[in-house]
Amino acid sequence: MNLVAAFRGELYKTVKRPAIWVCIGLLLMLAVLLGYALSWYLFTHPPAGATRNQAPGAPTFDQLKVILYPASFVKQTLNQWSTLGGVFALILGVLSQGSEYGWGTVKTLFTQHPSRVSMLVGKVLALALTVLLTVVLLFAVDAGSSYVIALVDGKSTDFPALIDIEKGVAAAWLIFGFWAAFGFGLATLFRQSAMAIGLGLAYAILIEGILLNILASVGGDVVKQIQQWFPIANTGYLAQSFGTAIRAAGQPAVKPLADANHAVTVLLIYVAVFVVGSAILVRQRDVT
Amino acid sequence: MLQETVVETTGLSKRYGNGVVAVDNLQLNVFRGEVYGFLGPNGAGKTTTLRMLLGLIKPTTGSARVAGSAPGSPASLAKIGAIVETPAFYPYLSGYDNLRVLADYCGVPYSRIGPALDQVELTPRAKHKFATYSMGMKQRLGVASALLKEPELLILDEPTNGLDPQGMADMRNLIIQIGQGERTVLISSHLLNEVELMCSRIGVIQKGKLVAEGTIDDLRGAAHLIVRAAPADKARKVLEAVAGSPNVTVEDGAFRLKVDLGRTSQINRQLVEAGVEVTELRTAERSLEEVFMELTGTQGGL
Repeated sequence: MNLVAAFRGELYKTVKRPAIWVCIGLLLMLAVLLGYALSWYLFTHPPAGATRNQAPGAPTFDQLKVILYPASFVKQTLNQWSTLGGVFALILGVLSQGSEYGWGTVKTLFTQHPSRVSMLVGKVLALALTVLLTVVLLFAVDAGSSYVIALVDGKSTDFPALIDIEKGVAAAWLIFGFWAAFGFGLATLFRQSAMAIGLGLAYAILIEGILLNILASVGGDVVKQIQQWFPIANTGYLAQSFGTAIRAAGQPAVKPLADANHAVTVLLIYVAVFVVGSAILVRQRDVT
Repeated sequence: MLQETVVETTGLSKRYGNGVVAVDNLQLNVFRGEVYGFLGPNGAGKTTTLRMLLGLIKPTTGSARVAGSAPGSPASLAKIGAIVETPAFYPYLSGYDNLRVLADYCGVPYSRIGPALDQVELTPRAKHKFATYSMGMKQRLGVASALLKEPELLILDEPTNGLDPQGMADMRNLIIQIGQGERTVLISSHLLNEVELMCSRIGVIQKGKLVAEGTIDDLRGAAHLIVRAAPADKARKVLEAVAGSPNVTVEDGAFRLKVDLGRTSQINRQLVEAGVEVTELRTAERSLEEVFMELTGTQGGL
């Protein structure tokens, strides 16, 4: 009962919060503009001196346009947005928790009568729903964009099977869910938004990449085993399990280090760690 | 009749990691139906105590029962409405929507929101965003949120902080009004006049310790009678005969009598009949500020 009450309160706050819609709207706008409109324009009207067609075995611009058509939209959405879209999900997670500390509303909430953990679970459920909505909207926007481009180019408007779309949405939900939980956990740890977003972005853009490069330079099976447990790498494994939209002619697909099942397991572990860790912090710490 | 205790602390202490003892072995008792003033200078430990009573911070040692349960437990919080320091709400939501969110959390019907806003006279601004509210309106919304649960105990931490004189007067009247009947109000303040006007009983905290607790009259002590008369030796004889010599002292050239004030006219008559010329005869009592300064060694909160 307390959990449902907390969920209802959180959901109402989320729906009414402009920053949430700005964040989601910005992601969708980028999905249309960068993911489809700009790519289509450049592939259709390559700038003078563009060298893409000159590389031996490289796909031509016309071949590249395949990724913009409906048949590829699930792969395209997952491959293009697993990290960049994840950053938006990270911000959603930070906003959900960090702002409570910034506004001091954490003490207002904690003097209502649901327990702190019930409140946190209610908040996490509302965040999960927000992330799912974001993913569904992203897929809808990408599907719509790919459909329009196929119509313009006179290509097939056939979409992948519904089950593949559903799997894609579920995978993206887990990937974005990981990012949101990461942001939520950082905001809880630092009790503020700025530090959480800063560190989250630093990890997304730099830290894991540097660590993986260092490990790769060492090489060996043990290193490969370690690499398989990094979270962003696993978002990549999961996205790649849907296939890449296009690759160089005659080149075999690059097999990810781990399969989808492994990636799902690792990401679920990370989500659980962030949520449980946040619950422990929220339960134990004083509100000063 | 035995009074029911709504807030009871036993040896409550809070020591922070840096060694600062914010609250030290506090024994506090607040009874049902009273407006209890928790008085102390800035930094005395008032807010830390209230946060412990609400479960926001955990005591280092000691225990408390608040509204019949452990501090911070859902059972306790269900019976408490509170404002801790500045009221904190969601700036992008209206006053009404903020209360709606809290109503969701508390599981109370939305039908209580309107009356709560009415009670604090915020209905005309209910649909405006919290970010646009003045400090007074924010405080009133805080009180409305505290009333939403129809709590048996209200805990208000410095509710007049940041208000202009009119706002302070309005808030005072509001607290007096909501503190009527069976509801218990525990209010912290460093402003003596507001405590004097609102509270039936007070506790004074200084450096984390409760240095006095009682009704305002108890703390002030009995009123005195001040007599200025000549000749002084003859006046003294009369006054000592009337009040008893231990109850007569001299301060600044005037006699100070611990005596039933109902006997004032009788004392005046006896002095006159004894040939003493009375130039001043008045009652005097210590102000709460004097008591506060004496207890805390500060200049008071004013």
